[in-house]
Amino acid sequence: MKPHHFSLSRRSFLGSTLAVAGAALVVPLRLPMAWAQQEEGSGMSLAFVRIDTSGQVTFLLPTCEMGQGTHTGQAQILAEELGTDWSSIIVDMPKQPVAAYRVPVMGQMRSVGSYGIRYWHEPLRLAAAQAREMLTQAAAERLGVMPAALHTEDGFVIHADSGQRIPFGELVEDAMALPVPEEPTLRPDSERTLTGRSIPRLDTPAKVTGKAVYGIDVERDGMLYGAVRLAPVFSADVESIDESSVSGMPGVIEVVRVPRGAVVIADSWWQARQAADALDITFTQTPADHLSTDEIDRMLREALDRPDVPVSTLRGDSEAALSTDGQVVEAEYSVPLLAHACMEPINCTAESTRERTELWIGTQGHDVLRMTLENALQVPADRLFINTTWLGGGFGRKTHGEIALQATLASRAVDGRPVKVLWAREDDVQQGQYRQTMRCRFQATLDEAGNITGMGIRLAGPQMGLEYGFDPEQMAQATGNLANFDPFSLAGLSDMRYVIPNFAVEHAVVDLPIPLCPWRSIAHSFNGFFFESFMDECAAAAGRDPLEFRRSHCAGQERMLAVLDRVAEMSRWSEPAPEGVARGLAVVESYGSYVAQVVEAQADDEGIHVERVHAAIDCGHAINPDHVEAQIQGAVIDALSAALRQKVTISDGRAEQSNFHDYPLLRIGEAPLVEVSIVEIGSPLGGVGEPGIPPLAPALANALFATSRQRIRHLPLTDHVQG
Amino acid sequence: MTAFTINGRAVEVTAETDTPLLWVIREQLKLTGTRFGCGVAQCGACTVHLDGEPVRSCSFPLSGVEGRSVTTIEGLSEDGSHPVQCAWAELDVPQCGYCQSGQIMSAAALLARNPNPSDEDINAAMHGNLCRCGTYVRIRAAIHRASEN
Repeated sequence: MKPHHFSLSRRSFLGSTLAVAGAALVVPLRLPMAWAQQEEGSGMSLAFVRIDTSGQVTFLLPTCEMGQGTHTGQAQILAEELGTDWSSIIVDMPKQPVAAYRVPVMGQMRSVGSYGIRYWHEPLRLAAAQAREMLTQAAAERLGVMPAALHTEDGFVIHADSGQRIPFGELVEDAMALPVPEEPTLRPDSERTLTGRSIPRLDTPAKVTGKAVYGIDVERDGMLYGAVRLAPVFSADVESIDESSVSGMPGVIEVVRVPRGAVVIADSWWQARQAADALDITFTQTPADHLSTDEIDRMLREALDRPDVPVSTLRGDSEAALSTDGQVVEAEYSVPLLAHACMEPINCTAESTRERTELWIGTQGHDVLRMTLENALQVPADRLFINTTWLGGGFGRKTHGEIALQATLASRAVDGRPVKVLWAREDDVQQGQYRQTMRCRFQATLDEAGNITGMGIRLAGPQMGLEYGFDPEQMAQATGNLANFDPFSLAGLSDMRYVIPNFAVEHAVVDLPIPLCPWRSIAHSFNGFFFESFMDECAAAAGRDPLEFRRSHCAGQERMLAVLDRVAEMSRWSEPAPEGVARGLAVVESYGSYVAQVVEAQADDEGIHVERVHAAIDCGHAINPDHVEAQIQGAVIDALSAALRQKVTISDGRAEQSNFHDYPLLRIGEAPLVEVSIVEIGSPLGGVGEPGIPPLAPALANALFATSRQRIRHLPLTDHVQG
Repeated sequence: MTAFTINGRAVEVTAETDTPLLWVIREQLKLTGTRFGCGVAQCGACTVHLDGEPVRSCSFPLSGVEGRSVTTIEGLSEDGSHPVQCAWAELDVPQCGYCQSGQIMSAAALLARNPNPSDEDINAAMHGNLCRCGTYVRIRAAIHRASEN
């Protein structure tokens, strides 16, 4: 189907879509008002539901599938509301990131922020309800009955009184002639057939037979392969390339200059890779040539002592927040740079000429690709077509556009032939786009009862949100903060839910010459560790139980209390821990969900061993409880990898790690049992892909404290644990 | 020219003999279910069976398969009905799924030689297969499930 992105009235939109798609009912999204205003002038856009005259139902989904289960969850929402047959639906994604697929707060089509269900639930239901009502109206006219006498089920409109059943496909042409209902009636909860149930994933059969197609698996006729050789220092660029150094090597076809390096094109990727390694290329000198992790740490430490850092967030009184009138608790924490290390290395296949560019890529950032090619090569948005494959992991890394530019430049260098550019694992680990390194200092004052009366927090580190167009002063105004508010840095601190009467947060900004990129749960990935470690320190200083201490600072916070109480029950917190096992607790709200975790760990001469993790999540209503469990299980293990061992360190301006031998992921023998419980207390829908990450590191550090009285304030933990 | 059998089919391929088997399987034989993850036998995404034994095809030279028999995920069963594949589907093990061909090939090799593996046996046999999504809890459960069937 050819997408449209120019301005069309609703009626002509339906008509023109039909012209290219054949007879099919395509239902446009009814835009929420705020969004419609924001997108004013950009015209109507594509639909989420397409039904052709054979009755085939295709869902065009707004977010990519990278393992989080979003395609199955979104399809459950659509199929239920529409009343179609689950076993015959087709799930696809649009080829152009037009307005209907954009999330309003970003103004972009981006698969981030655990928005897949929590944001898209309502627009998808609305679109499916529109389709259902149009089909029902068409059937009512044909049968001469009232629409209220009809219902949809398994792809039929059914008149229960007479037993007549009309398949959707037979109604499509009549339905298309009807106006799109402005305010369709959503099915009542009592008619739920698919949501709330653990429906198996749609993608599992392909993923257990090897038939799944990721970006790396794309095949095109006459396709060539590209490997990259990029500057090892992030801000460097190419000084010289001697193409003759590889011109005689087997299979080599072309060396293509790209920003900060080169793509070598060959008949096979292995040939391309060998030639890229052998390429005689030199890079420019930069001021960052001697940057090191020690130097970065020094910059962050100095920033913590900087005078006149503006207060970003204030509750109560700023002087009281930093009062020393009482028992004072102070601590400083840090986290390192992290790579994403998606199992599928970065890749993109492109066929590009000046007239038309087509990409095959597993991407989280459809509009980022569009903007990247628009800015670098003036590729018009209407001449760019993106075929979204499944992603072999995303975790935020695949929001970036550089690989699409490399593949496009490579294809153009060989007259528009398809070229698949694939990074080696070493490129992936060493070429930046890291989770930021941060340092954070806390001070709290406790009263005689051991309650926190004031807390001051100063965070030091980069301001990643700026790179994503979030102006920190505008963001402060929009979010009720005072100044200098970067959500990519301060989320999880500024909006934490504990009741602390006097509370101040500051951000001492440190610009680093290192490319950064959101990493699963973004700021929560470090602020969860900082804050929940410090809460534990305050509890210990007050001589109080960590659970009781947290609960006593949660007055009126029902969701905090609900997940805390559930995890306490799961872990039998009120009973003594088993012999030799230490328990640690943490609770973090992120992406609209609350997750509390209890880690059961042992630490001995052989290191840290996590035996079991209990996790309670309140994500509102679980659209697919089994997938929620899977996401939390996986997030715990993912976060444990990072908490225990992962770090990227810098020496001479370049990353020191290169592959899984020195950037280790957890292996199966180290993976704990993960028990998950879903708390449903009528909360709004929350995200699921990210919220399982933040509580793990602090819960583990807190467990280590419980067993050894040693407080580890810096990640990764194994660098700092003393046997 | 290197001659070998893949998924029961005799093939002859032309490539430098030090080319890792992985790239021959993926690019020449178009069997893309075997995946590239690290290139240095650290992650197991490229695991195939060579005469029934699991090997990391990213680090195994083409010359080593002359006259031998290779099985990839596509050859494990015709229709996804291998007990390991069935157990994987029953428990909805995959998330992103990228590593799962390798996980399944390692698990199938384990069960072929040890029909009732203990948790320790599973740890040893699956040690070389990384999963960034962290599906290990279900991988372990699925191997136990497959051993029961």
